[in-house]
Parts: sequence; structure tokens; C-alpha cells
Amino acid sequence: MALIAVVVTPLVAAFLCWLPPIRKIAWHVTVFLSCVEFALAVVVSAGVIARGSVIGVSGWFEADGLAALVILIVSFVCALAAVFSGGYMSQQKGHEDRLWWFYSMYNLLVFALVVVPALAEPNLVWVGVELVTLFSVLLVSYENTVGALEAAWKFSVLTIMGAPIALLGFLVLFWAYRTGVGHHPETWEALRASASSMSPALLKLSFLLVFVGFGAKTGFAPMHTWLPDAHSQAPTPICAVLSGVKTTVPLYVILRFLGILLGRPEVHIGGFMIVMGLISVGIAAFLLLQVRDYKRMFAYSTVEHMGIILTAAGLATRASDFGSVSQMLNHSITKSLCFYVAGAILMTLETREIKSIRGLLRISPFEGAALLFCSLAIAGAPPFPIFLSEFSILGSGVQAGHPVVVTILATLIVIAFVGLMMQVNRMVFGKPIGPPRRVEIPRTCRVAIVMAAIPVAVLGVYIPAPLYHLLNLAAQQLGGR
Amino acid sequence: MPVGESLNTLSAGLILICSFAMVGTRQVQGVLRFFIVQSLLLAASSFLLGFDEHSIHLWALGIITIVAKVIVIPWILKRTLARELYVRREIEQTVNIPASLLLSLLLAVGAELLVGPLSSAMGNLVVQVNLPIGLACVLIGAYSLAARREAVPQLIGILAMENGAFLAGIAIAAELPLIAELAVAIDVVLIVVIVGLLTRDIKRTIGTTEAAGLSELKEEPESWR
Amino acid sequence: MTRTILYNLIQILFVLVFAPLYSGVLSRFKEIVQSKRGPSIFQPYRDLWKLFHKDEVISSETTWIFRITPYLVFITPIFVTVLIPVLTDYPLAFAFMGDMLAGGFFLGLGGFFAALAAVDTGNPYGPMGASRTRMVGFLAEPVFMIVFFTVSFVAQSTIPFIVQQKWIENAGAFFSPAHVLLLAAFLMLILAEGGRIPVDNPAGHFELAMIDESKGLEFSGRGAALMKWGGQMKFLVLACIFLNVLLAPWGLAQGLEIMQILSAVPLILIKILLFAILLVSIETSLAKLRLFRISEFLGAAFIISVTAMIVSIFVGS
Repeated sequence: MALIAVVVTPLVAAFLCWLPPIRKIAWHVTVFLSCVEFALAVVVSAGVIARGSVIGVSGWFEADGLAALVILIVSFVCALAAVFSGGYMSQQKGHEDRLWWFYSMYNLLVFALVVVPALAEPNLVWVGVELVTLFSVLLVSYENTVGALEAAWKFSVLTIMGAPIALLGFLVLFWAYRTGVGHHPETWEALRASASSMSPALLKLSFLLVFVGFGAKTGFAPMHTWLPDAHSQAPTPICAVLSGVKTTVPLYVILRFLGILLGRPEVHIGGFMIVMGLISVGIAAFLLLQVRDYKRMFAYSTVEHMGIILTAAGLATRASDFGSVSQMLNHSITKSLCFYVAGAILMTLETREIKSIRGLLRISPFEGAALLFCSLAIAGAPPFPIFLSEFSILGSGVQAGHPVVVTILATLIVIAFVGLMMQVNRMVFGKPIGPPRRVEIPRTCRVAIVMAAIPVAVLGVYIPAPLYHLLNLAAQQLGGR
Repeated sequence: MPVGESLNTLSAGLILICSFAMVGTRQVQGVLRFFIVQSLLLAASSFLLGFDEHSIHLWALGIITIVAKVIVIPWILKRTLARELYVRREIEQTVNIPASLLLSLLLAVGAELLVGPLSSAMGNLVVQVNLPIGLACVLIGAYSLAARREAVPQLIGILAMENGAFLAGIAIAAELPLIAELAVAIDVVLIVVIVGLLTRDIKRTIGTTEAAGLSELKEEPESWR
Repeated sequence: MTRTILYNLIQILFVLVFAPLYSGVLSRFKEIVQSKRGPSIFQPYRDLWKLFHKDEVISSETTWIFRITPYLVFITPIFVTVLIPVLTDYPLAFAFMGDMLAGGFFLGLGGFFAALAAVDTGNPYGPMGASRTRMVGFLAEPVFMIVFFTVSFVAQSTIPFIVQQKWIENAGAFFSPAHVLLLAAFLMLILAEGGRIPVDNPAGHFELAMIDESKGLEFSGRGAALMKWGGQMKFLVLACIFLNVLLAPWGLAQGLEIMQILSAVPLILIKILLFAILLVSIETSLAKLRLFRISEFLGAAFIISVTAMIVSIFVGS
């Protein structure tokens, strides 16, 4: 039941925000229902931890460990983004009468994000991912400036282009299922169970098509170019959702295939995934060195982390799978924090250029400290959670006997670390330039930043036992040995 | 070869030619016209296969295709983008047309090389024809997205890719649950609505839909510009 | 054997006699469609008659090439006629002397000499037309080749008399994409090779825009008559290949009786008449392409023929 509620709640919220009498309090409705959503997601996760899976409507809505983890991440990030957007959006001039529209679309986006992991039928998952793309296109272009429209256009062309390719992949998967298994309802679970009777060549073709199609949506190099554009132009709360979870959701679908391919050991895709992952990490790492815009900087960091998750999943051992899913979790919570901080800085200084920001610590100690904190966390400094998961990925790589991969990955991570910290260093320390300005950032934004910082600070040193259990369940779905 | 399969093969061949024609056409309206023809052919193919295999799903898919792609989508495009369709005629592109056509041919041959052995090992005659041609249409559509630098042709290119995927789909996944098909159809219409609105906004704000004009956002140090 | 040789001669006679009529019918139809009255359908005969009775003037600057070209242009379609089914459904005496490729070579030989002769005169318009014809020719050549390859894939043969039987084995073969697409590609080729709209305007009188016609400007008297007649025969031969070999052998004589051959003549004429209507409707609904767009027209033909080949390989594999 909780699973159905998780799916329905955002729809209700979207509908309420659209109702004319409620339009004035759209933000309050959104925040309230987002918190309800998060609570429901916790209930679903608890159910998964207790029973291994939660079934909403058998054959249509089912959640296992991986799905529950993604639902949890999505609802957490979206709830905080809703809180953050209260202060942020009210500062945006000229769009006051469209705010209800923004929240309505926002809730629809949350619905699409949450329905993808909740669905068990792969063909509908494709539809869900498309909905995610469409609603995020609308939100990216919300501000209607030249830049926002350009970003939305690139974003929509590159990501919608992936859709037919992925659709073909899903059709091939369905074909493999029908020819191999016969007339049974197709679900992820059924696919997993009967992989050994499906044709390996078809499974491989299907995986490749879905990888190309959804890889564009995830932002793997060389199809990553939309990502920094969209992130620099979209309203900041949307950036947090886009970077934190919109990229994670298509990646989740790609990772689903690993569990299916477990039943077909002769199909080797690990090497392919490692290579693609390393390319993404590498390109992002070097772009981080020359970036000029701090929102784009965090966007490139997203490309880097997606690459790391993919590489880890490609290593295909139990330990690396655990690293992969925990990296997914850690990246989402840390990256959304980064964008809240970036949004706060944008509100105060009204510039996105790194070179025109110096001495942030003196202009606004809160923001300076927050930027330093989140950058260290996202770059992977100890004792933050990303350090833990990256370290466990590297460790598992050594254990699995891939010293070359580990060396390259470690080098690239270090380069990315240096690039990111170099830029942040310039912004945080030193002497302020330009006239001093004092813009109080809204209280809701501060609240969101502090709330987002708590798990980032805690998870690095202590993972609660239920969460650990959930991560383990999720890692099992990736099928590493 | 039986008549039904032969006609299906013919329709698949014509769909491929429509894809080529969309790459080779200079006018926005011509591209739209070929897209409509292609969608009609796709519907014809699915009616044919539905008749052959007594599958209600394929009939439904054919009707959905006609409603969505032959009626609704051109109507939406004409409503939101009438000026784009009728006033501006020649499309900008980065690669000239003969070279584009040759590249598309190579893509078609590549698609056959990619899935040909697979489909001949796995399937019947319909699969052997529809899967490679469907993949070829997807690839050609992707190429035209890269080569065409304007909003409306790019949008139609995406829809043509969708057609290719469905052409393969009616052969390999004939019994796909109807709900998935409906969802897909709604999704396609949504794509058009949203991207169409976006295009209109772009037109209003920037004054052109040549995507080449959209080049504000780049990752280059200023000294390179 | 002697009988089939006789039938071959009847075929040649058929092409010789009816080629001018065909072009007369075409131009008359076109005029009617354009709401004009137009000349009589027998006008081409009168033109030929007139030209044969005029004196021939040959420039002293020209060489032997110029002198033999009219004969070559006249004789090559006749050679092709013995290789293809014009009236009969079964192979005639010389059918196995050459396949469709050989026919293409014969027609190409005539065209080659016509181009050389145009250069030979030194007339400024001749070489221009020759170079343009060559441009069209070299763009059309690959399409010809692909068409032949596809035919040989499907029919396992390139002998016209054998190919024609392939399409009517069953309805599936008739509607197979290889067949339909080949027809489309070959129709476009006929338009290009015959110098019809949209590639060239056979009725144009503006030398700068001419492609095919400007090559014949320097010929007079008997030379001009032979060039004209040869061109008309070439066009009729192409139409016969299209209708009898590639479309379907309907209306051809089945048996060996002389009466059957003779009764096939009106049937084939009706077929050609229908084809003329098709051609006229194409010509009046299209405009002549700019010179540099011709490559796109033939590119489209190329694409269609390659699609035909690809699809027939899909089915075959």
C-alpha cells in the first residue's frame, strides 16, 4: 500500500498546486506532501528491509532493494529541494504569477522520478524515464531567458534522442523474453529469474541499445554536453534534482540489466562498462580544471560520479557493487547539497563566474563554510561518505584483480579533486572584490542547506544498520559475485 | 514469398526510403510530409501483420499510430509552428545533402551488419526485414538530428526514430501489452507538445529556430573565442 | 531457329517503325495536357523524311568521328533490340549473346560517340552539352549497375528474357520491394537518360540550358535524321526494357506462331501508350531541375536502388 501511496502522493500534490484556490499556497502544499512522500519512502524501505520486497500491485508496482534505495534517494532530495525552492523562487523576479505552475511541474517531475523505480514492468519504465525527461525540460526552460531556452533545447534534443534507441532496446528485451520464456507477464523479477533461458545475443543487443539511449540521459561522455548547460541555466532547486536524482534514475535502469545478465555469464559487458565509465570520469576530470562557472563545475562533477558508479558496477564483484550503490546514495545527497549552496551564492552575489568571486568566507561566512564543506565532500575528502564509497570501490577493484583500472580511476579522481578544490579555493579564500553587498539569504534556504548537510556529515562516520542492510540488498540486485 | 510478407517487406522498404527522403529534403514542410507518409506506411505494416497473425494489439497499434502521428502531431505542429512550417523553406544543415544520403546509406548497411546475423538466426522473415530496417531508421534519424541544425526538423527526426523503433517492434514484440502501447503513444504526443511549446518560446525570445544560432553556452576559455 | 531469327527481325522492324510514332504521341499528349493543340502524332516521320531529303553539310574542321557517329547512334539501339523481349515471351535467337549489362554498354557506346562528335565540331555549345551529358551519365551509371546487381540477386540471371519471368512467378514476387523499388529507380533513370523533364527539357530551344539536344546542333541532312531516329529508338528500347523486362511480361507473345507475334504488336503498343501517359503526367507535374540539382535527383534514384538491393539481401539472408 505504501508503494502506491508513494506514487500517488506527488500526483495529488501536482493536482492541488494546479487548483486555482490553492495556487497561492502551492509551496506549502508541495513541502508538506514532499515530506509525506519521504516518510512513505522510509516506510517502503522498512518494508523492503523486513521482507526483501514490497508489492503494490503485483506485476506492475513492485519494489526490491535497489528500487527502494532509489525511491528513498529521490524523495529525500526532492523534499529538501522543495524546501529550498520556497526561498529561492520567491527571490526570482518576474515570475510570481507562474509559481504555481512551477510547483505543479515540479511535483509531476517528482512523480516521474519515483514511478520509474516503483514500476516492475520494463516497458512502462521506459515511459517513466521519458516523462522524467519531458518535465525536466519544461523546468529547465522555466526562466525563459535566452540561455535557459538554449540549454533546454540542447537538453531535450540530446536526451529525447536517446528515447527511441532505448525503446528499441526494451522491445528487443521483450522479444528475448517471449521467445525464451513464453507468455508470462514481463517484470524485472521474472526477467532476472529466467535470464538463463533467453538468447544471450539478444540480451546483449538490448543492453547496448538501452545503454546508449539512457546513457545520454544519464550524462555519460560523450553525450554529456547537455548536462552543464542545463545545470547552469535551470533554477537552482531544479539543478539539485537534475544532478542528484534525474541522472541517477536512468542509471538505475541501466544497472537493472546487470541483474538480468547475471543469469548469462557468457555475456561480458563488464569491460565495456569500465571503459565507458573511465572515459566519463576522465573527460569530466579534465574539464573541471578549466571550468569558469561554478554551477557548471558541479555539473561536471556529476558526470565524473556517474562514471565512477558505472566503473564500479562494471567491476562486478560483491564489494564493488556495494561501493557502486553507496556511491549512488552519497553522490545524490552530497550533490544536492552542493547545488543548494551554489544557489545561495548565486542569490547573494548574482554571478555564476568563478573569477568574479573572491573571499566568500569574508562576504558571507555561512556560505563560505558551506561551500568549503560541500566541495570537500563531493570531491571525496575524508571523512565524508563519498570518500568511503570511492575508497571501497578502489579496494574492491584491487581485490578483483584490476590494478590498471584502479590506478587510472584513482589518478582521475585525484585530478578531479585537484581541479575542484583549486576553483573552490579561489572562491572561498582571499580578499573580496567588488563592492560589498549584503543580501540575506531566505531562511528556508538556510534550513535546506543545514538539513542536507546533516546526512553528508553523518554518513561518513556512521551508517545506520537499516540503511546498511538496504544498501546490501540493493547491491545484490547488481549481481556481482 | 507469400503476398502478406512481401507487402510488409515492401512497406518496410518504403519506410526506409522515407527516412532517406527526410534526410534529403530541403524544405521543412517536405520533411513533415515524408514523416506523415512514413507513419502511414508504418500503420499499414502493422495492419498487415495484425491481419496475418490475428493480433488485436497490432491493429490497435496501427490505429494509435494513425491517430497520433498522422492526425494529432501534424495538427499540433501546424497550430504552434505554422510560421516555421510555411514561411521558412530551406533548412540549414552542416553536411550537404548528397554526402548526408551516402552516410545514411552506410548507416543502413551498418544496421544490417549489426543485427542481420542475429535476426536471421532468431526470427522469421518479418523479423529479418523489420529489425534491420527499424534500426536503420533509428540510426538515420539520429544522424539527421546531428546534421540538421533547426528545431522543427530535429523534432521530426526524433519522431522518425520512434517510427523506426516501432517498425522493429511490430515484428519482434507483437504481443506487447496494450497499456504499454497506449503509454508510448501518449508519451510521443507529449514530446511534441512540450518540444513544440519550447520551440515557440525559443522563436519568440531568440527570433530564430536555427539551433546553430544557439551557441551561448560553451566550455572555452575566453581567449579561444 | 530461322523462325526466331525472323522474329528478331520483326522486333527490329517494330522498334524502327514505331520509335518516331512514340515520340510523336508523347509530344502530342503533352501539348493536349497543356491545353494546346500540338502537331500531329506523325510529325516525327515527316521530320525524318524532310531531313533525309536535305543536303548534308559537314564542317571541314571535323574528323571521321563526326562522320560515323550518326550511324553508331542509329545502330546501337538496334543491337540492343535483339537482346531484349520486345514482342516475345521466350528467348529469341540472339538472346544469349548478351545480358542487360551488354545492352547498357551498347547504349553507352552510342552516347559516348555522340559526346565525342559534339566536342569534335568545335561549336561552343556542343562540348558544353557533351560535358553535361557525361555528368548525368556518370551519375546514372552507378544506378544502372545497382539495378543490374539487384536483378541478378533476385533472378539469379541478367539475361532479360529470364529476368522478366521472375516477377510474375507469384503475387509475392510482384509486390516484393526489390521489384517495386527497382521500377521506381529505373523510371528515374529513363527520365535522366532520355533527357526528359525534370533532368532536361527535350522541347527547349535555349542552347545554354540544353543538355542532350545541343550535341546534335551541328548535324544536318541525313546525319541529323539518323541522330534523331537513333535517339527515338533508344528511348523506345528503354521503355521496352522497363515495361517488358522489369515491370511484367504481360501482353507478349507466348507461342511460336507468327500470328501470335503480330497480335502482340497492338498489345505492346497499348502498353507503351499507357507508359506515355505516365511519362506525360510526370513531366507536366514537375519543373526542370537546376543543373546542380540533377545530382540530387539521380542521388535519389541511387538511394532507391540501393534500398532495393539492401532489402533483397535482408530477405535473402
